[in-house]
Amino acid sequence: MTNAVAVLGERALREARRTPDAMVPTLLIPLFFLVVNVGQAAKIFPTDSTEFLQGQGYAAFQLPSSLLLAASFGTSALYLVEEIEGGYFDKLRATPVHRSSLVLGRLVAVAVQSVLMTTVLVGVSLLFDVRIASGVFGFLLLVVLAAMWAVGYAGFLQFVALKTRSAAATNSAGLVFFPLLFLTPNFVPRELLSRPMEIAATLNPVTYVVEAMRSLVLVDLDWPVIGIGFAVAGAFVVAMVALNVRTMSHYD
Amino acid sequence: MPDAVTTEHLTKTFTSRGGDVEAVRGVDLAVREGEIFGFLGPNGAGKSTTVRMLTTLTSITSGRATVAGVDVAADPDGARHKIGVALQEAGLDPRQTGREILQLQARLFGASRAEAVTRAEELLELVDLTDAAERMTKTYSGGMKRRLDLASALVHQPEVLFLDEPTTGLDPASRLVVWDEVRRINAAGTTVFLTTQYLEEADALCERLAIIDGGRVVSEGTPQALKDELKARRSLTEEPTLDDVFLDVTGRRRERTAGEVREVQA
Repeated sequence: MTNAVAVLGERALREARRTPDAMVPTLLIPLFFLVVNVGQAAKIFPTDSTEFLQGQGYAAFQLPSSLLLAASFGTSALYLVEEIEGGYFDKLRATPVHRSSLVLGRLVAVAVQSVLMTTVLVGVSLLFDVRIASGVFGFLLLVVLAAMWAVGYAGFLQFVALKTRSAAATNSAGLVFFPLLFLTPNFVPRELLSRPMEIAATLNPVTYVVEAMRSLVLVDLDWPVIGIGFAVAGAFVVAMVALNVRTMSHYD
Repeated sequence: MPDAVTTEHLTKTFTSRGGDVEAVRGVDLAVREGEIFGFLGPNGAGKSTTVRMLTTLTSITSGRATVAGVDVAADPDGARHKIGVALQEAGLDPRQTGREILQLQARLFGASRAEAVTRAEELLELVDLTDAAERMTKTYSGGMKRRLDLASALVHQPEVLFLDEPTTGLDPASRLVVWDEVRRINAAGTTVFLTTQYLEEADALCERLAIIDGGRVVSEGTPQALKDELKARRSLTEEPTLDDVFLDVTGRRRERTAGEVREVQA
């Protein structure tokens, strides 16, 4: 199974490399939000008088939201549904590999792509005077956390693709997570939100991933916050991979 | 000679909101090792569903099927090792080259990287695609896609090759090329199970055939035996064609309406 996952992952990466036009917006849109949000709110939150910025600029506070947005790309699911509609998926299903390899290969490729995109985005954010307060180890944790989110998110969309076998439905499903992304403490910490928004953000699991990322950027290694973020992302990955594997084993 | 494909009362029922649909209703078949077996029928007769069950792509509702001696429901992976599949749509990844598709397929069947490279080269030569090997398959013509699809079904030297309407949509010249490939593959010892709507294709290629209609096999035999039987039964003076046999056993006739020839239930 490991060999088939590696072979199919390699193919998915080659596919991504050959379609840069599909990946460029995934990088540019989070950068756009980073620039716009910082442009709009940086003056409201000056570094020297805003305690939650921990001595950094507002871009450092915004970076995790952009990283999460960049990690929420659904191209692997769209390629999968294209493969289902075009008949190539049946060709792969007729090979004697473990059923789950056919979806896990794509998820491995998503993880690799996410590592590259997070690295690029963090690199660009250095131009905005962002510093990763937790150092190199913290940066690595940030990259892993973003990759976990990317795998979970792609897993969700692949699940929709396998269930519906429809490009339109898969594309629409991508929108489901956007309200969740924006119901996080996006502009200020949770304790500064209005009461209803604070409750909504507290109930939203995505909040804990954003807060873990933010902690790695702004604070040092704050393990309780980081731990919750990894636990949420880990549970998301496990749930989505399990759904993919289960759907594949019943795929007819 | 042992049977390469057998089915015993093979049945497939699809459940949908509108009710159950019985696509295949108790099909019994025995395909001999080394032959080219044709599976004919009109659109929606159950040909593709039967092939999908035999190739492990669709579950079997009831009945039993074996391929190269392996029960496809009990040991699907075992069956997959024995069969090659080229489905109705030449399912190819448009963003990979012909060579990459063959190498990937070989590796999924357990070949090492080096073995996959060698096998892909052999197959590209076999189907005369060496010159186009480095091109993305989205640039291939219909005929080239078909040949590559055939080649990818052969990477692991299967005992039984399933071809689901391999020439549908091809121009006459490409169709003849595919026929030659099928004959060549069969001459090398591979049993071929071929579905088609083209009666002349079945006549030209198949040693024996079965005609399916409404999910049931309505006739089976060699093309000549089926024609002889019709000639004798109807006391015909002229030699009937396979098309006459097909219309007779499916109870259909063709009529011209507004300039178009339509097949209607008699």
